[in-house]
Amino acid sequence: MGDMEKVAETVASLQASFEAHRYICSDEIATAVFLAYQLRKPILIEGPPGVGKTELAKTAAEMFALPLIRLQCYEGLDESKAIYEWKYGKQLLYTQVLKEALGEVLGDAKGFRESVEELHKFGDIFFSEEFLEPRPLMKAIKEEDGCILLIDEIDKADHEFESLLLEILSDYQLSIPEIGTIKAAAEPPLVFLTSNNTREISDALKRRCLHLYIPFPDVDIEQRIVAARVPEIPPALQQQLVAFIHELRNLDLKKSPAISETIDWARTLVLLHAEALDANMVRDTLNVILKFQEDIENVKGEVSAITAKVAR
Amino acid sequence: MGMDRTISNFIRALRNAEVRVSTAETLDAMSAVELVGYKDKAHLKRSLSMVLPKTADEKNTFDACFDQFFRFQDVRGESTSNSENSGDEDGEESSEGGEGGGAGGDPQNQNRGKKKSKSKAKQNNLYEEEEEADLGPGEVTDAHSQLGKLLMANSRVELAQSMAEAGEAINVREIQIFTQKGLYARRIMDHMGLPDLNREISDLRTDSRVPARRLGQQLKQRRDFLREQVRDYVEQQFLLNADVSGKRLREELLRSVKLSNVEHRNFRLIQEMVYKMAKKLSTLHSRRRKVFKRGQLNVPKTLRNNMSYDGAIFDLYWKSVRIDRPKVFAICDVSGSVANYARFMLMFLYSMDEVMPKVRSFAFSSDLAEVTDLFNRNKIEDAIAKTLHDYSGGSTDYGQALLDFKKMCLDDVDNRTTIIILGDARNNHGEAHAEVLKELYDRSKRVIWLNPEAKLAWNTGDSEMRKYGAYSHQVEECNSLMHLERVVSNLLRQTS
Repeated sequence: MGDMEKVAETVASLQASFEAHRYICSDEIATAVFLAYQLRKPILIEGPPGVGKTELAKTAAEMFALPLIRLQCYEGLDESKAIYEWKYGKQLLYTQVLKEALGEVLGDAKGFRESVEELHKFGDIFFSEEFLEPRPLMKAIKEEDGCILLIDEIDKADHEFESLLLEILSDYQLSIPEIGTIKAAAEPPLVFLTSNNTREISDALKRRCLHLYIPFPDVDIEQRIVAARVPEIPPALQQQLVAFIHELRNLDLKKSPAISETIDWARTLVLLHAEALDANMVRDTLNVILKFQEDIENVKGEVSAITAKVAR
Repeated sequence: MGMDRTISNFIRALRNAEVRVSTAETLDAMSAVELVGYKDKAHLKRSLSMVLPKTADEKNTFDACFDQFFRFQDVRGESTSNSENSGDEDGEESSEGGEGGGAGGDPQNQNRGKKKSKSKAKQNNLYEEEEEADLGPGEVTDAHSQLGKLLMANSRVELAQSMAEAGEAINVREIQIFTQKGLYARRIMDHMGLPDLNREISDLRTDSRVPARRLGQQLKQRRDFLREQVRDYVEQQFLLNADVSGKRLREELLRSVKLSNVEHRNFRLIQEMVYKMAKKLSTLHSRRRKVFKRGQLNVPKTLRNNMSYDGAIFDLYWKSVRIDRPKVFAICDVSGSVANYARFMLMFLYSMDEVMPKVRSFAFSSDLAEVTDLFNRNKIEDAIAKTLHDYSGGSTDYGQALLDFKKMCLDDVDNRTTIIILGDARNNHGEAHAEVLKELYDRSKRVIWLNPEAKLAWNTGDSEMRKYGAYSHQVEECNSLMHLERVVSNLLRQTS
């Protein structure tokens, strides 16, 4: 625990620690994690796909040495998948057992009213925590020493699901009608939500979160990212490659290459023993960075020009 | 306390610049400030930019607002720390009129940030060159005018208070657009007694006694200093109270202006407004639809599914009302005279795809073509531009367009279909083919005719509104955003 506090003490210490875990982050990102930790607030991370939103949460878990609990969102996700479900099978089994033992339980109760009263004494055992199957959100709340909760691609879930999240995000607690309210352990989870912006996130949810927008990184940071992730890359190649990607991002493409693509490409070129960018090799490996045939066709014509430009 | 006021004033300025900040977020901002402090501006800005603005647009506004707002804060922070009589309690009073009044008082002892002090030094030089040599320190006479006395009294607190009072008196809070800044600054100075002071200064200049001339010099310096103070104060009031970008005013006007008169440079703003309206309508109607979803217990299905649990009912199934998505056909006249209306109508319809039933759209001037695909593939703006470009040539022929539409889509028109026709019904004296519209009228759920012309002009000249109107369920005049919003809202009410 002490370690964690030390790491999150200042923005600079966080940044250094992230870097030690091979995650190069801008001041903005480090500040967001700093505030999230210090203020105990969830972070909503938006940005184009592949800029390291999910990676941020994973690295944070690694860095703070906390378990990572992940909830992947999709259309139709509901509370039985995200929060809890009753163990129907177990309940059923116990009912059968109870049926058998019913005579004993009721003992010498006379008449219907007395029997029912006797039964009432059993209360709601069927809807107690023993019969509860915790799902990611509940698990995160119950984690004693805190954890990282990653709610991935919240924009894929339905509008209604966002409302389900509000309680856990603002108060770190969950209300279950049959049991009551379950509060987080001493150390509430550090929550990361990611969104690819396929739809607007509701104001209510945004209000409860810090809002971090991760754009494509600038040349400097991206070079450091490549160097951290693919340390064996020759420096000349690394510079040209990043410059090339940045040129591509300026073009009007259906999908601009993201950091993950830059890294994949760097790995590919290293495998091919490239020392510097070469127009032919770029043409052959374009499918690593561009994911639409249309884009590949468009860029193919420009490859020589861009390669020459970044080689200077 | 002082810190909190700075941040809450900043939030006021943000809200004024159309960044939505809730109370909860205000509290978050305060804890963030407590954590990071005011010293490192960049750090503060980064931190607040995660707490306060929550969309890309808001972040841009936030950046500009922060820079503007804390520029003053800088100047004032400096002057407060340098001055000996920091006068906290009175600062509070003056801040009722805004933080701008924080500094004031003795110009010689308080240098207000480097930039300003440099410019003042320059001023002093000029002054000395133009006047006789420096009169040096020494005896000065007493000032007579009220403002003169105040300036010589050396109390920044009183000065600030007087400035705030003057501000209140001339209603500086009502400042609306940036061009009014100079005006308000002048009014405040006048209200504080500038004319008397000016008279006094010019009298003193020609006075034969040295102490009197010395007073004149000092008064002049302090007057110039006061002028800067007042300008800053007004600037702050502007940030806090005015329609900073002039946007609100323009939006207000644009809502009711005729769409054909909208100038090209306002298109972006209109588009923003359309999106905003569309979003508002979306949330309104999606909520309504949810109520529909609530069903009753589906007994057969529940029993069937729980058979495996020995008849104990665990899993409940609900009947839900299935909403059959109705269809909307939008037929737009895109010929020159009506093109702009078509532009905004299409924009509106396609901005609402979340709640809007499936829209198929058609454009015509002489011949009619379906443009639905164009909209599905491209961004709304591009699709609209292309539609207008491709189909707007040729003279309008409503008859032909209706025939074309019938040929293409009559089979798809059923009793859940709404057909919206946007056009002025000016047919160039061609064949109206109203019988086709009648056929559509009979088959569809609704035919809505939106005419951008004023009602008075209908049926004049070559307008066939009477004939077409007879076979429409609803005929509306529609030539401003306000009309559009109403029409679409009604449409949603009836289709969902």
